[in-house]
Amino acid sequence: MPLNQDVLWYKDAIIYQVHVRTFYDSNGDGIGDFQGLEQKLGYLQELGVNAIWLMPFFPSPLRDDGYDIADYNSVHSSYGTLEDFRKLLDSAHSKGIRVIIEMVLNHTSDQHPWFQESRSSSDNPRRDWYVWSDTDNRYQGTRIIFLDTERSNWAWDPISKAYYWHRFFSHQPDLNYDNPAVREQMWKVMSFWLEMGVDAFRLDAVPYLVEREGTNCENLPETHEVLKELRRKLDEQFPGRMLLAEANQWPADLRPYFGDGDEFHMAFHFPLMPRMFMGLKLEDRKPITEILQQTPEIPPTCQWSLFLRNHDELTLEMVTDLERDYMYDSYAEDKTMRLNLGIRRRLAPLLDNDRRRIELMNGMLMSLPGTPIIYYGDEIGMGDNINLGDRNGVRTPMQWSGGWNGGFSAAEPDRLYAPLIQNPVYGYPAVNVLAQLGTGHSLLHWMRRIIAVRRSTAVFGRGSIEFIHPANHRILAYVRRLGNEAVLVVNNLSGAAQAVELDLRRYKGNIPIEMFGRNIFPRVGEQPYLLTLGPYQFYWFRLRRI
Amino acid sequence: MRIVETMSHDAAQATPLLSEMKLAEDTFLTDDFVRQLINVGEVDILVGLPTHNNAKTIGSLVKSIQSGILRWFPRERAVIINADGGSRDGTPELVTGISIDDVRPTSNLNALRTLHSISTRYGNSPTSSAAMRTILSAAELLQAKACVVMSPESSGIEDEWLSRLLRPVRNEGFDLVTPIYRRHKFEGMLLTNLLYPMTRALYGVRIREPYTHDLGFSGRFAGEFLLQNSWENEGDADGSELRFTLAAITGHHRICQVFLGEKEHIERHASDLVPALRQTVAPLFSALEPDFPAWSAVTGSQPVPTTGPDHEVSLDPLRVNRKRLREMFSTGVAELASVFQTILSPSTLTELRGIARMDEGEFRFPAELWVRTVYEFAASYHKSVISRDHIIQSLAPLFRGRALAFLVENRTGSAEDVENNIEAICLEFERLKPYLLEMWKSRE
Amino acid sequence: MREMIISELSQAVQDLARGFAHYLPRFIVMLILAFAGWAAAFVVKVILRSILRLIQFDRLSENAGASQLLKKAALPPASEVVSRFVFWLVWLGFILLGVSVLGIFGLQEQIGKFFFFLPRLFVAMFILFVGLLAASFFSRAALLAAVNANVPSPRVLSLSIRSIIIVFVLSIVFEELGIAEQTMLVAFGIAFGALMLGLAIAFGIGGKDLAQQFLEKKFLRAQKEENEDELSPL
Repeated sequence: MPLNQDVLWYKDAIIYQVHVRTFYDSNGDGIGDFQGLEQKLGYLQELGVNAIWLMPFFPSPLRDDGYDIADYNSVHSSYGTLEDFRKLLDSAHSKGIRVIIEMVLNHTSDQHPWFQESRSSSDNPRRDWYVWSDTDNRYQGTRIIFLDTERSNWAWDPISKAYYWHRFFSHQPDLNYDNPAVREQMWKVMSFWLEMGVDAFRLDAVPYLVEREGTNCENLPETHEVLKELRRKLDEQFPGRMLLAEANQWPADLRPYFGDGDEFHMAFHFPLMPRMFMGLKLEDRKPITEILQQTPEIPPTCQWSLFLRNHDELTLEMVTDLERDYMYDSYAEDKTMRLNLGIRRRLAPLLDNDRRRIELMNGMLMSLPGTPIIYYGDEIGMGDNINLGDRNGVRTPMQWSGGWNGGFSAAEPDRLYAPLIQNPVYGYPAVNVLAQLGTGHSLLHWMRRIIAVRRSTAVFGRGSIEFIHPANHRILAYVRRLGNEAVLVVNNLSGAAQAVELDLRRYKGNIPIEMFGRNIFPRVGEQPYLLTLGPYQFYWFRLRRI
Repeated sequence: MRIVETMSHDAAQATPLLSEMKLAEDTFLTDDFVRQLINVGEVDILVGLPTHNNAKTIGSLVKSIQSGILRWFPRERAVIINADGGSRDGTPELVTGISIDDVRPTSNLNALRTLHSISTRYGNSPTSSAAMRTILSAAELLQAKACVVMSPESSGIEDEWLSRLLRPVRNEGFDLVTPIYRRHKFEGMLLTNLLYPMTRALYGVRIREPYTHDLGFSGRFAGEFLLQNSWENEGDADGSELRFTLAAITGHHRICQVFLGEKEHIERHASDLVPALRQTVAPLFSALEPDFPAWSAVTGSQPVPTTGPDHEVSLDPLRVNRKRLREMFSTGVAELASVFQTILSPSTLTELRGIARMDEGEFRFPAELWVRTVYEFAASYHKSVISRDHIIQSLAPLFRGRALAFLVENRTGSAEDVENNIEAICLEFERLKPYLLEMWKSRE
Repeated sequence: MREMIISELSQAVQDLARGFAHYLPRFIVMLILAFAGWAAAFVVKVILRSILRLIQFDRLSENAGASQLLKKAALPPASEVVSRFVFWLVWLGFILLGVSVLGIFGLQEQIGKFFFFLPRLFVAMFILFVGLLAASFFSRAALLAAVNANVPSPRVLSLSIRSIIIVFVLSIVFEELGIAEQTMLVAFGIAFGALMLGLAIAFGIGGKDLAQQFLEKKFLRAQKEENEDELSPL
C-alpha cells in the first residue's frame, strides 16, 4: 500500500503514539527495539492507523525518558542501529504508514558533547550555544514546569561556575536560539532525518525556545521567527512533510503557532483533553463546548491534534483552580496519582475500566475536529502502575499475549526495562492483543471498527463543526460538514439513559443513516428530532438527502 | 403474537415524537414543563420559587440564589424551579434569565456546570398549594436530594440563606428545616400568640415558624408529602405550607431550625388579618381532624435542634393605633353575639363581654381566656357548627383584642420579657390541652 | 193501601239493601286501604326519620334558623316535624284513594287535583328550606365581613340582607303553590322596591362620606387614614 501523496495527508491521519522501547523486543534483551516494532507493523496496519509517532530514540542518559538527547544524529544502541531504523521506515512506508519522530529543539542532555564543550570554559566556541548567567535573577517570574522536582529555572554548574537556564529538568540545559549557529545546526539535524525519509517531526517544548527579560519567556515573537524559518526551509526542501507543535497553552495563545499557515502544520489541543474528562464526570457538555467555542479559527492547511492520553500526566495546567480541584477529587483521589499539576494514569483506569465510557471517549476523539492520536496500549485497554516513579506508570511493556512476559520479550522478567502490569484486572494475562483478537467483541475489534468508519469519510478529518445546543445539557451534539457531506454526532455524557430533542431544522428532509449498522432512522422534519440514548452511548449519523 | 404485529404496524405509521404526544388527561403538570424537566435530569439541589407578579424583588433574589449555588455548592447539580401563578409583569422571564449554559456565554462566572432555571405556569391565579405541588412534583421527578423553597418577597436575603437551609438536609440528614427571623417584638403576633403556642402544645414540637415561605426539606420527605396530601380539596387551597410542617411532625421526620436574619416585608397591612387567618388558622384547625390520633396522645413539648439563636427580637419603638384595635374588638364582641353563641361556651362568652366593657387603661385579655377561646373555636370548627369559613372570620375581632392586650403588656418590655410572656402563653396552651380534648369528644 | 205502602217500603228497603250491598264492598275496600295506608305511612315515617338523622337534617335546619322558629312555636325538632308531616300526607293519600274507590261523583276530580298539587307542595317546601338556609348563610357572611371591615352598624346590614332573601324566597314559594300569585307578585314588587329605594336613599344621603372614602381608596390609593406603623400579623 503506497503512501497517499496528498500534501494534507495529516488531516486524514490516525496517529499511533508509541515508544520503541515499550513495543516489542526482538533480541531478548528486555528492551523493545526497531526490529521488534518493524515486526509488529502488520498489527498496526490492521488496526487501521496510518501514522506512527515515535517517542525519542536518540542516544541519551534516559533521565527524562529520552527527552534529554545526547546525540541528534544517531539512535540509542538499546533500540538497534541507524540501519534498523532505516529499514523500519521503509517497511512502514510500504504498509502505508507514515513515521513521525520527536525533535527536541529546546534543550539537550547535559551529557551532550555540545554542553560538555560549552561548560568547559567561557571561551569555548560553543559557550554561547546555551544560556549562561552569573546570577539566577534573570528572567524572574518565569513559571517552573516540573514543580514536583525543580525549584528554579536556573541551575548552578560547578564546572563553569555559572548558572545555566533550564525550563525542564536541571540536567536538560536550554539551547540558546539567539545564536544563529544553534539554529543552523538544528536545521541540519532535522535535514538529516528528513533525508532518511522521516515524514514529520513533533517539536517538543516549542514555546520556550527564546527568553527575554521582563516576559514570562513563553510564546515570544522571536520564538515564532525561529519556527517560521524552520518551516520555510522545510517547505522548500521537503514538501509534504509535517511539523507538529507541542505547546501546552490556551487556544488563543496556541493560535500564533499556526501563523498564516507558515509555521506549524499541526498542534496539540491541550485544553480540550481535560475538559472531555471533566464533561464526562460532570455529565455536562458545558466544559467541552465552551473550550471549543473559544478555540480560534486556524488556517485551512492547519490541523488540531486530539488525544485522550499520552506518555505524560493528564495535564491540568489549562483549567481553573475550581476545575482542577474537581478533577483531582474525581479522578485522582489517591494523591500519589497526582503529579506536576496532572494525573498520571492511563485511559482505562481513569474510566474505571468501563467499556462504555472508553468507547464514548474514543468516539469523541474520532469525531471532534482534528487528527486523533491513540496512545499505544489504549486500544486494548491497558492499565497502569502508579508505583513506578514519575510518569513511568503509563509506559509499561505492550501486552501481546498471556504468556511469557506478556509476549513482549523472551528475556528474563527481571531484565525488562520496566515490569509488566500484573494485577488481575489489567494484567497481561487478562488484557492482551492475542486474547482480544480471538474475542469477537473485544475492545481491539471495536477500535478497528471505529477507525475504519472514521476513515471511510473525509468529513471527520477535514470538515467544519457546528454545535447543536439541546436543552438537555448531558448531550453533546454537533454536525460535521464537508462540501455536501454532513455527519450528525450525538454523545450521551451521562451514565443514565437520556431522551433529547434536537433542533435539526437546517437538515430538514435528510435521512439519518447510522454509520456503524447502516440502518436508516426517521427522516428529519420540522419538529424537534427525538433521540433516546443508553448510558454513555453515542450515534454517528450520515445525513443523506434522497 | 397479534399484539406484537399491531405494535410494529403502528410504529411504522405513527411519528411518536415527544412534542406530539399528549400525556394523560388529568395530569397536573403541563407537557411543556415535563419536557423541561426531562432536559434538567437528576439533580442534587432544587430551589423552588413560587411567584406572582414579583418583578420588583425577584431579580435580586435569583441573583442571590445563583451566587449562593456557585459559591456553596459549585459541584452539585442544581436547578431553579419557578412555579408562577399567572404573572403579567415578566417575573418568569427574570427567573429563567439567570440560567447558566453553553448557549449564553457568561464569561464572568466561574461555573463548572450548567445551571437550569426553568419556569412553569400552574394557573391564572396564585394558589400556594398548586405552587407547592408543582415544586414537590418537580423534586420527585428530578430525584432531588435537598430542596429549598424561598418566598419571592424575601428581598433582603443573603446568598448564605441558601446554604443555611440546605446544609442540615445535605449533610446531617434532616427532613425539614424551618427558619427563625429577627423580628420586631410586636410583629407576627398571630404567630406568637396562636400558631406557635398551639402547634407546640398540640403537636409537641417547638417550631417557632410553623407557617413559613422559606424552608428547606429533603427530597424523600417531599415525595412522601406529595403522595399523602390530598391535593384536590377546594378548601385547602391556601394551607399547604402549614400542612407541610405538620406532616413533618406527625410523620416523625427530623426537623431543625436555622437562624436566617431580618425578614423584610413588602406592603403587609393589619387589614390582611382575615386572609392571614384563612391561610394559617383554618388549615391548622382542619388538620386537627385527620391528625387527631397523633396530637391527642402527645403531652408537653420538645425543642428541636436549632442553629443560631432561637429567637431574636428588635425593640424599635412603634406607634400603633390601639384605639382602633380596642374598638374593633368591642364592636366584634357586641355585633357577633349571635355567631359567638353557636361557637363559644356561655361562660367564655360572658367573660369576653366583660372584657369588652373594660376601660382602655385596664384592658387585659388573660392568656387563659384566650387559650380557652381558641380551643373552643377549634372544637366548633371540628363540629362545623356553622360554615367553617365563618368561624374563622369571626375569630378576627377576638384576635385583635388579644393583640391589643399583648401590646399593652409588653409595651416597655425587653426582649427577654417578651420572650418570657410568649413562653407563658405556650405553657398555658399546653396546660389547657385536656380542655380541648374534652370539648372535642363531648359534642359527639 | 196498606199493601202499597208495604210493597213500597219493601221496595225501598230492597233498594237500600241493594245500594248498601253495592257500596259495602267498596266501603270495606276503603277501610282496608285506610288501614294499609296507616301502616305504610308509619313505615315511611320511621324510614324517613332515620334518613334525616343520617344526613344530620337537624343541624342543617339549625343553620337555616328553622329550628329556632320551631322552638318558639313549641314544636318538636325539625326531623320529627318533617317525618310526622310526611306520615299524615301518606295516610291522607291512601284515605283519599280509598274514598275515590267509593266512586262518589265530583269527589274524583277534587282528589285528582289534590294529587296533582302534592309535587308542587314538596317543591315549595324544598325552596323554602333552602331559601332559609341561604338567608342565614349570607346574612352571617355579611355580618362578619362588615364587622371585620369596621363598617358601622353591621347588624342592620346583616338583617336587611336576611329580610331581602326571605321575602324573595317567600314570593317564589307562593308562586309555586299557585296561591294568590298575582297578589304575591305585586306585593313582593312593592316591598322589594321600597326596600331598595330606602337603602338607596340611606346610602346616598347617610353614607355619602363612606362612599367617598371607599372610592378614594379604590381609585386614588390614598395613604392610610391613621398615621402609624401597621403591624402585620405574620
